[in-house]
Amino acid sequence: MTESAAIAVEVVELGKNYGAVTALKSVSFSIESGQYYALLGPSGGGKTTLLRLIGGFLRPSAGHVYLHGRDVSHLPPNRRPTSMVFQNYALFPHMTVERNVAYGLKLIKVPPGDIRDRVDRMLSMVGLEGYNRRMPHELSGGQQQRVQLARSLVLERDILLLDEPLASLDAKLRKEMCLELKRIQEKVGITFIHVTHNQEEALTVADRIAIIADGELVEEGTARDVYETPNKRFTAEFIGDNNVLEGTVSHTSDTRVALDLDFAKVEIPARGAALSTGERAAFSIRSELLRITGRGEDMGASWQVVPASYVEDVYLGLTVSHLVRLPDGTEAVARVMSGDGDENRFEPGQEVAVGWPTDRARLHIA
Amino acid sequence: MYDDFASPWNIRLKWAYLLAVVFALLMPVFYTIGISFNQHGFGARIYEFTFDWYRVVLGDTLLVVSLKWTLYLALATIAATIPMALLSAKFYKRTRRKVGFVALMLSPLFVPADIMGSSLLVFFKNLARGFAWLGDALGVSWFDGWFDLGFLTAVIGQVIYTHPYAFIVILITMSRYRVQQTEAARACGATAWQAFWHVEFPQIRVGVFSSCAFVTILSFNEAVRTALLKGGFDTFSNMLVAQMLNIGMSGESYAMAGIMSIVSMLVIGTVIVYTLVRAERLERRARAMAEPVMSS
Repeated sequence: MTESAAIAVEVVELGKNYGAVTALKSVSFSIESGQYYALLGPSGGGKTTLLRLIGGFLRPSAGHVYLHGRDVSHLPPNRRPTSMVFQNYALFPHMTVERNVAYGLKLIKVPPGDIRDRVDRMLSMVGLEGYNRRMPHELSGGQQQRVQLARSLVLERDILLLDEPLASLDAKLRKEMCLELKRIQEKVGITFIHVTHNQEEALTVADRIAIIADGELVEEGTARDVYETPNKRFTAEFIGDNNVLEGTVSHTSDTRVALDLDFAKVEIPARGAALSTGERAAFSIRSELLRITGRGEDMGASWQVVPASYVEDVYLGLTVSHLVRLPDGTEAVARVMSGDGDENRFEPGQEVAVGWPTDRARLHIA
Repeated sequence: MYDDFASPWNIRLKWAYLLAVVFALLMPVFYTIGISFNQHGFGARIYEFTFDWYRVVLGDTLLVVSLKWTLYLALATIAATIPMALLSAKFYKRTRRKVGFVALMLSPLFVPADIMGSSLLVFFKNLARGFAWLGDALGVSWFDGWFDLGFLTAVIGQVIYTHPYAFIVILITMSRYRVQQTEAARACGATAWQAFWHVEFPQIRVGVFSSCAFVTILSFNEAVRTALLKGGFDTFSNMLVAQMLNIGMSGESYAMAGIMSIVSMLVIGTVIVYTLVRAERLERRARAMAEPVMSS
């Protein structure tokens, strides 16, 4: 166990079983103090289980949870330096907003005058000045989540756990609250661990993102790394709008791997991958990097080009997705900004070429 | 489309029908109460209002003692049933197998009172015999008398009978409560007990008190199970039934029935009125607070 003061949360080989069902399989990672950390993954992947293990709401089947270097695996939630914002239904319905926020302070016997000041300050921070005497059922979903946030932050604990806090809000409010959460985290400077299945939400708020699926930590990195240069095929398929293609290794060098796609040969940056000829491998290219041209048009030496037939375009408001079909039947998507002039350039069924910058493709072995 | 509010007479007729049904159902009870206040008793042509029959009942030492026993039985049943029902309702909130659990909790209701009473009677007889045998085998007298018919066996019978009702009443009032609220309280620093007392109990208090009232009434109204399991004491219902069977309905019997009916209706009425008044008060408060916040 490291004793670094900068590490706020460290989980070591943490696992959780429910009878024969394994919800979390030996997960290990650490989070630095003051970081906004997102646990992102599909529903049922184990991210909420992981958060609840950190918060003390579940007892681990294996492994340890260290908070600021102290093993808290055996401690209940009220004895951990964490507070938590739940998805919904978690405000005390028989208490006013003020009493909800003051609840934790009363438990630790903070003088009433101080409680009032701290509650007012916190309600002001979350934009709910003057709502002290309202009951939870008189608040909108977004306001209720703000009260939860105030109730957690007023305790001035070092680590805040957020379990899908924006899942029950509409899309517009969710975007607003994302920015609000980020602003508040930067202001208070404590560690936030935010569980979500929404990649846009995670990319907006998080300094670092851990991808959790099937009870495992798939990949971990900065938001930009995870989005732009995913190591694992699962990450590439889950985050962003990636095209994943498979082929057989036909040649390798220190810097490049040549893949035979059956209908074309392409080169992919090797990134140190140990592959041998004849092995199967996959690579991904983000849809916004894919370019469609007419057959025979030159894209340049630094581009990889494969033949395809044009299927259709789909208008998505901000962007337009162009769908093409590769000779092996795989469909690929090229995304461009609306109004960039590429719309309606091709007819369905037209023979086209699809290309991408060689250096931007990501090789995935697992 | 049919508009339910097109004619006020639709609503009035529905209310009239509802009240007529309730009145018809309660008519025999009111009739019995009426007779209990008649100096000349049942079947007399003359009606002279009197409290004499009630004075006779309350002056009868045996009946007063039976009232006391019934009260003790009710209190002991409340003490055992309410915490059990509360725990059951809490468990229901957490379990994933809700249908099976509810079926299990309500199963005592599907066994007729006389079958349940006689089954328990046989069970306790054998249990008492088993404990006596155990005492003999160990050479001690400490086990003698355990589960002999008496107050304890009567209470157990009542608990089995009243638990499903208390469970349902508490469960209904738990509808607003979510497990996340308790977890949120724990995350705020509350112990398990503080989380229950500060967050969960205030939301189900009405249900708990209603259950207490309900269990009390059921204890006063139950005759079959207690008759079979009570051993050496009599409850008020046992006395009433015995009197009816042995000497028929007397003015005293009507007064005993009257006491039970009036007390039951008063208890239930109080609970309903309290609940309605409280709900109205809360709604008024909520409406007042929902006024828009004005900037100064």
